[in-house]
Amino acid sequence: MSQDASLMAHLMRRAGFGATRNELEEYLSDGYKTTVEKLLNPGESNHMPDDLIRRYHVDQSELRQLDCAGAYWLYRMLTTSNSLEEKLALFWHGLFATGYAKLNQARALLNQIDMFRQYGFGSFRDLLVELSRDPAMILWLDNNENHKEAINENFGRELLELFSMGIGNYSEDDIKECAKAFTGWTLKNAEYMSVRASKDSIWPYGRIAWHYEYRANDHDSGEKKFLGEVGNFNGEDIVDIIVTQEPTARFLSTRLFQYFASDEVDDDGEQVIKAMMDSYFESGFKVSAVLRTLFNSDYFKSEKCRYSRVKGPVESVVGTARLAGSYQEPTLDVHSLWAQTMFMGQGLLAPPTVEGWHEGVEWIDSGSLVERINFAAKELSDPTKDGVQDIIRRVTSGYRDFIHPENLVDSCLDFMGPIQVEADTREGLIEFAESQGDLQLENGKTDEDGSAQIARLIGMIASTREYQLA
Amino acid sequence: MVISNTISIRYLKTIGIVNNGFNGRGFANPYDVTIGPEGNIFVLNRCDPARRNAIRVGVCNLNEEYLYEFGYGFGDGDGQMMLPVAMAFDSKGRLLITDEHTNRVTIYSDEGEVLGKWGHKGESEGEFNGPAGIATDSSGTVYICDQRNHRVQKYTADGRFLAQWGSQGTRAGEFNLPWGLGLDAENNVYVADWRNDRVQKFDSNGHYLKTIGDSEVEEEHLARPSAVSIDENGNIYVADWGNERVQVFNSEGEVIASLKGEATLSDWAKDFFESNPDEMETREISDLNPDVPDHLNNPYHISSQTEPFFWGPVSVRIDNDNRLYVVESNRHRIQIYEIE
Repeated sequence: MSQDASLMAHLMRRAGFGATRNELEEYLSDGYKTTVEKLLNPGESNHMPDDLIRRYHVDQSELRQLDCAGAYWLYRMLTTSNSLEEKLALFWHGLFATGYAKLNQARALLNQIDMFRQYGFGSFRDLLVELSRDPAMILWLDNNENHKEAINENFGRELLELFSMGIGNYSEDDIKECAKAFTGWTLKNAEYMSVRASKDSIWPYGRIAWHYEYRANDHDSGEKKFLGEVGNFNGEDIVDIIVTQEPTARFLSTRLFQYFASDEVDDDGEQVIKAMMDSYFESGFKVSAVLRTLFNSDYFKSEKCRYSRVKGPVESVVGTARLAGSYQEPTLDVHSLWAQTMFMGQGLLAPPTVEGWHEGVEWIDSGSLVERINFAAKELSDPTKDGVQDIIRRVTSGYRDFIHPENLVDSCLDFMGPIQVEADTREGLIEFAESQGDLQLENGKTDEDGSAQIARLIGMIASTREYQLA
Repeated sequence: MVISNTISIRYLKTIGIVNNGFNGRGFANPYDVTIGPEGNIFVLNRCDPARRNAIRVGVCNLNEEYLYEFGYGFGDGDGQMMLPVAMAFDSKGRLLITDEHTNRVTIYSDEGEVLGKWGHKGESEGEFNGPAGIATDSSGTVYICDQRNHRVQKYTADGRFLAQWGSQGTRAGEFNLPWGLGLDAENNVYVADWRNDRVQKFDSNGHYLKTIGDSEVEEEHLARPSAVSIDENGNIYVADWGNERVQVFNSEGEVIASLKGEATLSDWAKDFFESNPDEMETREISDLNPDVPDHLNNPYHISSQTEPFFWGPVSVRIDNDNRLYVVESNRHRIQIYEIE
């Protein structure tokens, strides 16, 4: 495998959900830098059209329940041409974790994800303002209960602690002043929607979706002192102050680094984070500028950075299904795909708390690992799947009548990624290939049994430790 | 109320409530409605995955009495359904239901007894790849949209293939995933050519006659039409699914009325609120017809937030008393209008 292909595969595992060989070849023809720019400036996405989804899956049109919404988003991840757009939306979903259980309003959650797509690459200031106006977030953190005469600090506290600066960089008084500035930021028909949400009411005619409403008569327009500044601040003013703080730049850069580069931050990683913080301020708080600095850094491209992250469950499921070529058309059992993410510990649109998911090695326990391996092995050992057939075709095309097990393993690793594995993993795979007997070809093609034999090896590769790493 | 100089369409009432269970009063993602020989209202419930074992037909009347229901569960066994799309009574009073997943038509009595079935997956004459809209004429001939084969097929009452027309494309006489269809008094066939955003009219032998709704004018432009029905005067009612509205055209193809929905509480909904006064109290101080912000300003999002509006209008049917029934898959109800 070429170094270029290996590096590009690394980029796509991080900035996307991996790449099929066809996709990889397209990226390679553009080159690394151009590909990074295309990822950061995605334009209109090509993905499974909404009308086809809604006609086939009436439940994904109505979105009465969590699993319908989760499946709907998975279709987008599975078929999008803008992989970083979805990967970044998934990042924001984890950082600004908003869950279905309290809201019982899936459309509002998907509208929040749309907002992440629209604002996720741009100014962090705009993103935080939109987040503060997002009706799902408002109900999730009780800002509909944050009134001029009786503040509720929940949103104000999390805005500072979990969404922007991190604990230790503000006072309890700052939290109160922040909360006051966001009084009156609520959702339309808040009283009725709140009762319906708390009772999980779908009656009489199903869910009613939400939008933001500003109630000027419930806003505290008095003077506030926030992070040393004084004024009659409203919510936007508070965000304007937050985004200029160095702790905010550090918080955002670190979280992006850990999600896209490495679970652990060492001294070299610390230097990259500093450069990302510089880009944050120089660009006027632009997320795309921060990511550009990361993706183009020597650290990110280094061998050290590769396979240093555990794939999250959604990354794992989507990446595997994309590689297999599954779910490219509306499919009856797509809900089971969403259920898989839940079984593996990352129920899409259902984060456990406002802190989101604990990532890295915490993704892996004995139960979730079994789910991961079973899912990946089943998807990729099925020789009827388009993506598996493509790998088989590529693997065999360089040979005429026989493939040595060692070559077979190396070819499969190449066309599944390239994926780099440890020497003992490779030995184990070669033993497995040998145990299946000789692979005979006829003019570079396999018969049904031969395809099944290669597919079993592909499934075995999907069961390795290295396949679980990004 | 919608009145042009040629037609008056007056809202009458709403029947329905979401059914969250496995049986009983209410609807679960209704996909079609038809009127039985005795005048009862038959509602086809497509159901969502959580309730798929309850897939069924519910029967009620205009007075909102829920009379009975029948179904055999989710699956491809006799009488079972997986993704039912549409239904029609034939000239013998039998109920025919299409299923786009099992690729067949099942024949039931009006009490739900399974009387027969036909169809399997394929692209040859008589075979299906996603049967959708269905209509029958007075002689018993059955017309079906075969969506993924992009054609209309004609059968005898018992499923013997008679004829077909259409192929995938955008030219006159071609289709792209057709959904519903309707017949007029002369047995002309109107096809909701879903992904071509138009309705096409053919004679009963499939000769192309006319296209409706492919105009650049917003008012006349259809977006993913799902169903079509024709009244006794030849006016054409189209479930303009992508625009969340019903457009009414005269026989020349000119828009003469447009409905966006004005649902009120059904008797079943009123019963619910009597038992849940906390919801009624907060509902009464709410604006269920709000202005939606710009970033959500498209028909789907507006309807998702505006309870009286159609949301997912998948089917339109007209009964013998000139009542128009609009089925909303996403709101589990039927809005009924009187045509004068």
